[in-house]
Amino acid sequence: MRSHRRISSVAVATAAVIALALTGCTGGGNTDGDAAAPTDLSVGLIASPASLDFTTTAGGAIPQALLYNVYEGLVKINNTGDIEPLLASDYTVSEDGLVYNFTLHEGVTFSNGSPFTAETVKFSLERVADNWTANGPGYLSPISAITVVSDTEVQITLSTPSNSWLFNMAGPVGTMFSPDGVDALATEPVGTGPYTVTAFSPGTSLDLQLRDDYWGDAPYMTEVELRYFADANAQSNALLSGDIDVVTQLSQYQLVSQFESNDDYKVQEGSSTGEVTLTMNNQSAAFADVRVRQAVMFAVDRQAIVDTVNSGYGTVLGQMAAPTDPWYDPTLVNLYPFDPERAEALLAEAGVSDLTVALKVPNLPYAVAAAQVVQSQLADVGITVETSTLEFPAVWLDEVFTKHDYDMSIISHNEPRDITLFAAPTYYAGYNNPDVMSLFAQADAADPETSIDLMKEATTVMAEEAAADWLYLIPVVSVADADLTGVPLNAPTLSLDLSTIAR
Amino acid sequence: MALTLLRRIGVFVATLLAASIVTFVLLSILPGNAARVALGIDATEEQVAAQEIAMGLDRPALERYADWFGHLLVGDFGTSAVSQQEIGPQIGDALGITAVLVVSSMLLAVLFAIPMGILTAIRQRKPDGVILSGISQIGVSIPGFLAGMLLVTLFAVTLRWLPAGGWSDPGDGIWDFVSHLILPAVALGSVQGAVLSRYVRAAVLEVMRDDFLRTARAKGLTPAQALLKHGLRNAAVPVLTVLGVQIAALLVGTVVIERVFAIPGLGSLLLDTVALRDLPSVQGIVMVLVGLVLVINLLIDIAHTVIDPRLRSAT
Repeated sequence: MRSHRRISSVAVATAAVIALALTGCTGGGNTDGDAAAPTDLSVGLIASPASLDFTTTAGGAIPQALLYNVYEGLVKINNTGDIEPLLASDYTVSEDGLVYNFTLHEGVTFSNGSPFTAETVKFSLERVADNWTANGPGYLSPISAITVVSDTEVQITLSTPSNSWLFNMAGPVGTMFSPDGVDALATEPVGTGPYTVTAFSPGTSLDLQLRDDYWGDAPYMTEVELRYFADANAQSNALLSGDIDVVTQLSQYQLVSQFESNDDYKVQEGSSTGEVTLTMNNQSAAFADVRVRQAVMFAVDRQAIVDTVNSGYGTVLGQMAAPTDPWYDPTLVNLYPFDPERAEALLAEAGVSDLTVALKVPNLPYAVAAAQVVQSQLADVGITVETSTLEFPAVWLDEVFTKHDYDMSIISHNEPRDITLFAAPTYYAGYNNPDVMSLFAQADAADPETSIDLMKEATTVMAEEAAADWLYLIPVVSVADADLTGVPLNAPTLSLDLSTIAR
Repeated sequence: MALTLLRRIGVFVATLLAASIVTFVLLSILPGNAARVALGIDATEEQVAAQEIAMGLDRPALERYADWFGHLLVGDFGTSAVSQQEIGPQIGDALGITAVLVVSSMLLAVLFAIPMGILTAIRQRKPDGVILSGISQIGVSIPGFLAGMLLVTLFAVTLRWLPAGGWSDPGDGIWDFVSHLILPAVALGSVQGAVLSRYVRAAVLEVMRDDFLRTARAKGLTPAQALLKHGLRNAAVPVLTVLGVQIAALLVGTVVIERVFAIPGLGSLLLDTVALRDLPSVQGIVMVLVGLVLVINLLIDIAHTVIDPRLRSAT
C-alpha cells in the first residue's frame, strides 16, 4: 500500500508538469481563477463509428459521437431521461395529441454557415422517408403534415397520437440537416451542434473542435478527442498513464477496483438502456412451450451472472425496461426467483426430458462469459446447452438475427425503449402475442398517464409469458481524472453528450 | 541475367493474380452480409436488399472481380463500402505506420541478435555463454503481446515515462513520435531478436566446424580473427533467409501488437474492415500484404546473390 502511495504522488507530480506544459501551449480558454484549466479533453471509448453517416449506417457509435455534439434536433433527452426543447425554444401539443407547434430559436446556423429555419425542419424530416436506411426511419411514420408557419414556427400534424414519436424526435431521426450539407454525410457532417468534426480515422480517433459561432451556451471543452480502443486493457492503461482523461463507460468491471483505490480518479456508476438479454427463440421446437421458457427463468440465477461476469456491477431486471423508463416495474425483478426445483417441475409438467439446445452467442466478452454460467445452471436442471461463439456483428446478425437459426442467444439490446421492437412477431425472438402489440398501440396513442399504465401491463404480460430472460441492465461505470466535473452519470440515449464536462 | 529478371517478374505477377482470385473467393464465401452489417438490427429485409444493390453486391461475382482487379491494376483501390472513404490513402497511412514499426523493431532485433548470437556461439561452453543463451531462450518463449503488456505496465502505467499506446506522426514532433514508437518496437523487436539470435548462434557454430575455418586457423589466425575474416559472411546466408521470413511474419504479426498498443496500422485496419465486412477494403489490404511479402522475398534473394557469389552462377 505504501509503495502504491509513492507511485501515486509521482504520478501527480508528472501530471502536474504535463498540465503546466499543456497550459503553456494552449493558452486561452476559461480564465476564471489564477491558472487557466486546459480546455482539451481526450475520451476513451470502445466501438468506433464505421462511417459518420447515421442515416445509412447502423451502430450506436455514430450517434454516440455526433448526436447533440455535432447534430441537434428540435428536442433532446436529458441525462435523467426526460424530453426537453433544444433547437425549439418551446413547443405546444394540442388536446387530441395530434398537432405539435414548435417555436424555433433565432440566429441558429449550421457549421457551413447556412441558417436554420422552419424550412430546414421540413426538409430534414421529409428527407427521412426517402434517404434514411438505418436508425429507424419508420419512427417518423406518424407524421401526416409539416407546415412552415413562419421562419421560426413550424407545425407538425400526426395521423394518430403518438407518445413515442416525440421521444424518437430526440434521437437520430429527429436530426436537423442543412439542404446544402448532406452531400457527403459519411465524411463531412454538417450540423447545428456546438462541435465540428476536424478529423476522423476509423477505428482510431475522432476529433471535435468547438465552433466559435455556436448559437447556444458553448460547452467548456474547446477540443475533444474521442479515442477508440478495441482492447479494454489498452483503454484502461491509457487512462492510468494519462494519455486519456476519461472513460465514460468501462466495459470490463474487474478493471474498476484499481481506479477506486486511487485518489487521482473519480469513479461513478449510473444507468444505461442496455438490457443484456438471454433470448429464447419462441418459434423453435425447444421453446415454443411457455412452461419450458419459464423453467429457464427459474433455473437461471441472474444475480450470480452479474456477480461472476460483471464483478457485481449491473442491475437484475426481469423485464425489458430500464429503471429510467416510466413504466419500469420493480416487482417484476423477483417474478422468477432462482428455484431449480420449480424449473424441473415445470419441465416435467411440459413433458420435456433430455432437452438439448443451441446457445449461439456473439464473440463479445460479456456474452461469452454469461453463456458459461447459463450453460452450467441449465445443466443443473437437466437441459444440455451446446454453446457456440459467432463473430459479431457479421455472422451473429446473419445466423441468429436474420435467419433465426438458433435456440438461445445472449446480447445487449442497447436502444432506449426498444420493448416494442422486441415484441414484434417478425423480430428474432419470435415472440407473438397480438394482445401485447395492441397494448403498445393503445399506449402510444393514450394520454401520458394511461400510457404508462398500458406499457406496464404489456411489460408484465411479456415477463409472465417469459418472452425472454432479461438478465441485467448494463451499468454505466465511468472513470475520470479527479479534476474533471460533469461527466454524464447515465446513458439514457445513444449520445455521449459532452456539453457538461468541465475541468 | 535479363532472363532471370523476366522470369522473376512473371512469377511475381502470376502470384499476385492467384492471390487476388483466392482472396476474392474466400471473402465472398465468408458468412455475413455486408449490407445487414451496415444497416443493423432495425432494418427490414427490403431495406437490406436495396442496400445490397447500392453496394453492388447483387452483381455477378465474376463481374465484381473483373471490375475490382481491373481498377487495382491501375492502382485504384476504390472506395470503402462502409466509411465511403478512399481505400488507397487509408491503406497508405496504415502501411506507413506498420512499416515504421516493422523496420524499427527489425533493426532492434538485428542489433541485438548478431552480437548476441556470435557471442553465445564463441562462448558456447563457458558459463557466460550458457547464461546468455538461456536468456535468449526465455525471449523466444515470450509472446510479443505479453512483452508489450509487461512493458506498458512498467513504463507507462507505473513510471509514466512513455505513453501506453496510440501513435503520433513524426510531423507532430519528433519526441512524440519516438515516445509512441519505443514500447511497441521493443516488444516486437526483443522477441524477434531472441529468435534471430538462436539462428545466428547456430549458423556461427556451423561455420566454425567448417574446413575452411580450420585452414584459416592453421594459417595462424585466432578463432575470432578467422571468424571475422572468413566465417561471418558464410554464416550470414542462412540468417538472411530467416530474416526475410521474420519480416514477412512481422508485417502480419503486428496485428496483435497494434491491438495491445491501439496503433492504427495495417493490422488494426484489417481487423476493423473484416468485422464490418468491408470487402473492398479487406481485399485491398490483403493484396498489399501479398505484394509486400513477394517484394521482401525478392529483396532477400537479391541480397543472397550479393553475399554469396556461388549463387550467381547457379541461377
